[in-house]
Amino acid sequence: MSKISIIIAREFNERVRKRSFLITTILTPLLMVGLIGAMIAMMTMRSGEVKHIEVIDSSGVVASRLESTGTIQYEPTQRTLEEINTSHPDTWGVLVVGADVMTNSSNVQLYTYSSSTLETEMSIAGDIEQIVEAEKLKGYDIENLPQILDEVRTNVSLTAYKIDDSGSQKESSSALAMGLAYVLGILMYMFVLLYGVQVMNGVIEEKNSKVLEVVVSSVRPFQLMMGKIVGIALVAVTQFIIWVAILGIAGAAMIQFMVPSDVLALAQAGAGAGMPGAVGMTDNAELVTVLSNVMDFSYIGKMLVVFLIFFVGGYLLYAGMFAAVGSAVDNVQDAQQFQMPITLPLVLGLIGMINAMQDPTSSMAFWLSIIPFTSPMVMVARIPYGVPGWELALSIVLLVATFIVMVWLAGKIYRVGIFMYGKKPTFSELIKWISYKS
Amino acid sequence: MDYIIQAEHVVKQYGAFRALDDVSVNIPRGSVYGLLGPNGAGKTTLIRIINRITAPDSGRILFDGHDIQPSDVELIGYLPEERGLYKKMKVGDQVLYFAQLKGLTKAEATRRAKDWFVRFGIESWWGKKVEELSKGMAQKVQFITTVLHEPRLLIFDEPFSGFDPLNAQLLKDEMLRLRDQGATIIFSTHNMASVEEICTHITLINKARNILSGSLDEVRAEFGAVEVREVVKMGKSMNDIFIEAVGNE
Repeated sequence: MSKISIIIAREFNERVRKRSFLITTILTPLLMVGLIGAMIAMMTMRSGEVKHIEVIDSSGVVASRLESTGTIQYEPTQRTLEEINTSHPDTWGVLVVGADVMTNSSNVQLYTYSSSTLETEMSIAGDIEQIVEAEKLKGYDIENLPQILDEVRTNVSLTAYKIDDSGSQKESSSALAMGLAYVLGILMYMFVLLYGVQVMNGVIEEKNSKVLEVVVSSVRPFQLMMGKIVGIALVAVTQFIIWVAILGIAGAAMIQFMVPSDVLALAQAGAGAGMPGAVGMTDNAELVTVLSNVMDFSYIGKMLVVFLIFFVGGYLLYAGMFAAVGSAVDNVQDAQQFQMPITLPLVLGLIGMINAMQDPTSSMAFWLSIIPFTSPMVMVARIPYGVPGWELALSIVLLVATFIVMVWLAGKIYRVGIFMYGKKPTFSELIKWISYKS
Repeated sequence: MDYIIQAEHVVKQYGAFRALDDVSVNIPRGSVYGLLGPNGAGKTTLIRIINRITAPDSGRILFDGHDIQPSDVELIGYLPEERGLYKKMKVGDQVLYFAQLKGLTKAEATRRAKDWFVRFGIESWWGKKVEELSKGMAQKVQFITTVLHEPRLLIFDEPFSGFDPLNAQLLKDEMLRLRDQGATIIFSTHNMASVEEICTHITLINKARNILSGSLDEVRAEFGAVEVREVVKMGKSMNDIFIEAVGNE
């Protein structure tokens, strides 16, 4: 076994055997599944709450035609607003429709006894609009108006297709892409930062426990640094693979048990053939598209591969810098000042990622996904929407070139820093170490 | 003369600070070689260069008569002044780790380590974490990691600082035992009494330069009173020589 692989093995084993690794690796995906479950539960709970609205209608047109829905109950009343104000046991709010609502459509007021929501207000306004519109149409005295209206009423369900370079079409879901972009971007940020800091803390620990000089009498300082960086990278990749496996199994189980079988069949057809048109036959177009995307292994698989490539590149870039900082200081407190310039581009990448999530083809998203320091976060956020091959290749080449230079520079600082005890160095001293002969 | 280490005109510069200035040292095989000098004189830098931890700006190091190779560090055991162990790692794993880094197979390292643990009567520590050990206990483990690969050259940087008297005595005994088995020993120290007791040769380094080298007798002859050569013990103490030589600089 070569010396660097002995170091990698130690770094890997010491971390993977820790109880904290086991706990975070198993619990995090379970927590994520639980969180999604809780969100769904909260949404269903909210829809169960019924709002009773008393309607005072001076126009005589609106109140009788308002149709109650599951969550909004319209109750026409003869009482005045003052009377209701004195006694309103079940009433959520009072809707006052003016007598001239047909000509003055803004003469509608809603008084509520608890805080209102935009969703409810828009729903009420929409209901009144429909009634007023229908009433106005009636004024034109058109024959068979109800039938005409019924026939005219259309509900558009948009299916989006993404045409790739080879010309083949693929149903795409912007909602899914956005969700994936967000998850992948945040995950990238977390992984690079958390594992980068682990490298730094590992170096500081070695320096603190004075074990460093013992080790570098057997191996080159650069081998020790790279062994640590690679060992920790393997820990991260292991954790990621376990997460994907757990989420994949949990997701498959959820799809199997919670999705109606006809929707599932359509989605499977879509995933296999990438056939346009299959989705048109159902009301659940969005759901089918999401499912067919999720079950399409080449779509998800490509994303995972790109994520891993950019994680390894981005991590190596930042881990090198973190190792250099760790070597220069004696304790974690002293490291904070040097961490700033490292975390700044990371945070910039996070902001760029949110931008890219909303508009993946904007020039800001483009440049930040090409520039190496931000590209890992921003590129993975763009990937679910589809990225031209040359952009991907350029970004990867730049990232690899930068991390090679950065690791080389970091190694130069590291080999000097590990022997510096006591005084905290300045930035200019750190830079000066690069020029020292080994 | 048969030398295990020959340092020839070694220069090492850190920025504006010259740590070693044209230092040449010849270390005879089988000797116990003391590197003396005040703090900051350059002893540790020289030791690190011999260990290939840093490279000299100019000059060269010969090991066994050839330019020192990367693989030669497997024949060297080094106990640095800044020494320690991984606190959260188990004692046994740790000893095996360092032995493997020195080129031993895991099986061979395990066999030898068990022998040493029995010798020191510390078999029960094998599965303990280092942070559970006392400082004195950790020093014993540290010593084992230094010698487990049976190096032909042992280098100790300030070995007697930080060791409790019991471990210092143990260390001294083990050093002499290893010398008797054919190892060469280099150590740097401030402790002149230990120099008189076990060194056969010394070099005195001050302000980055080698100001005095030779066997103990030669050094005494140069600095000591000639008339008492036959009763060496009555000559100048190493302490006096140290102060005189450094003071003259």
